[in-house]
Amino acid sequence: MGPETGAPILSLDSVVAGYGPMTILHGTTFAIERAKITTVIGPNGAGKSTVFKTVFGLLKVRSGKIAFDGADITNLAPRELLAAGISYVPQGRNIFPELSVLHNLELGGIAAPPAIDIPARIEAALDRFPVLRGKAKAQASTLSGGQQKLLEIARSMLLDPKLLLIDEPSIGLSPLMVRETFDILLGLRDRGTTILLIEQNARSALQISDRGLVLEQGQTRMYDEASKLLVDPRVGELFLGGTSQHGSTGGNA
Amino acid sequence: MSGFIQLVVSGLATGAIYALVAVGFALLWQTSQTINFAQGEFVMVPAFFVLVAMKVWGLGYLPSIAIGLVVSALLLGAAFKGLVVEPMLRHGVLPLVISTVALAILMKESVKDFYSSQAQQFPPIVEGTDIEFLGAVVSTQSIAIFFVALGAVALLNWFLSSTLTGRAMQATAQNRAVARILGVDVDRMILYTFLINGLLTALASFLISPIYLAKFTNGETLGLAAFVAAIVGGFNHVRGAVLGGLILGVLDNLAASYVSAQYRAAVPLIVLVVVILFRPQGLLGRVEERSV
Repeated sequence: MGPETGAPILSLDSVVAGYGPMTILHGTTFAIERAKITTVIGPNGAGKSTVFKTVFGLLKVRSGKIAFDGADITNLAPRELLAAGISYVPQGRNIFPELSVLHNLELGGIAAPPAIDIPARIEAALDRFPVLRGKAKAQASTLSGGQQKLLEIARSMLLDPKLLLIDEPSIGLSPLMVRETFDILLGLRDRGTTILLIEQNARSALQISDRGLVLEQGQTRMYDEASKLLVDPRVGELFLGGTSQHGSTGGNA
Repeated sequence: MSGFIQLVVSGLATGAIYALVAVGFALLWQTSQTINFAQGEFVMVPAFFVLVAMKVWGLGYLPSIAIGLVVSALLLGAAFKGLVVEPMLRHGVLPLVISTVALAILMKESVKDFYSSQAQQFPPIVEGTDIEFLGAVVSTQSIAIFFVALGAVALLNWFLSSTLTGRAMQATAQNRAVARILGVDVDRMILYTFLINGLLTALASFLISPIYLAKFTNGETLGLAAFVAAIVGGFNHVRGAVLGGLILGVLDNLAASYVSAQYRAAVPLIVLVVVILFRPQGLLGRVEERSV
């Protein structure tokens, strides 16, 4: 099974985008495989988060094309992308602090077509995350950082997306919560969800990933199996904090 | 003692009107970072919509009130959002603030030129009779104002917390970026906020004009009172704005009688300074986290 087999679920073709007059993505091109976890790694300012915001319609694509599941989704609005089957969990805190946990969850279904039984899905989400059920009526601001992240993930899964874009989920979490969050992502992957992940801690993210995508200055430098990137000395030196686990390149400065 | 109770009751009535205006003020700030310095004029002008309907078109009180509410929602809500807030907010909060100051002057002068510079009688919601309450004589009009105003706030509160649309509006106020990501129609939620502010200020106008008469200068004190009430209560809270309005109304009334009527106008400012010194986030406010 090489990275080339199977139709990609998401592909970017020469995408140019950025903030205002600033261009961050100068013709970004890559394709992501279905039902895999792909970690995007790269230095700060490589455009990792920008890629997510552009795919999710928060930044305008100035030229190029984005395709999802066989359809052109270039410059669609978030509502349309949710309907198409993409969810996005940005970096940082993404809860509504003064709404209850239940009402936070409920808003994850606000863009749902009428046929979807949102209350049933909320029940299922609370079954899957018992810690959230215990605090369903409490203000979301009373949750711990890790619980808030669980809430965000549970909320983003309410529409049962085919693709989840998740940016730095482990920031500020205890090692135990990081493990739990990663386990949840693995569980979603096993149920067929494609996950595109950005992580500060690239090494531990690659360890749970199927693929890794190395982005530098908005350009794809490498795309390969995560296990290969983990032992690749170029990746190790540049992005994984010095020497790689196996083929040592002789220490860092 | 009976004089005191009388002052408190009529102060609560005025305070409830301040609360209506302050709630609208706080809602606009929360959902769209709009600081509306024309808010007082938004309270002054709807009374004249009603007077036009009654005197020019010869309609009855209730149909005129209905027209006043609709016209206020459209002009002070939707048109204000589309023609003033959106074009100016692109340039920043300060240009918007200055535009609302200009709008206040425009509204004031327009009423003076196109209607009258004289204070106008405005029909009350109920005929005022005096009743005894705890040994004091209080006006039924004060009581009616208090319950209508707080009833409107309670209804708004119910809408915001008990309907999905209301919660989507709260979500938009608390974290607009995330609301958009979840598929909330953020622009529509902001429009609703402006429509609600138009309705709240119109209702305040219909409640206060029978007491103070409808006059083009009414907005000056009302705008300041609402602004201070919102800050005193906590700029980011509906409950805070209500509390701030009531406190201000009562203090205002007590000060006018027990201190000096001349210094009454200074009361909101003194309250403002004290609150900013000792509790800058307001009585019920939370410290806002701002993130990029």
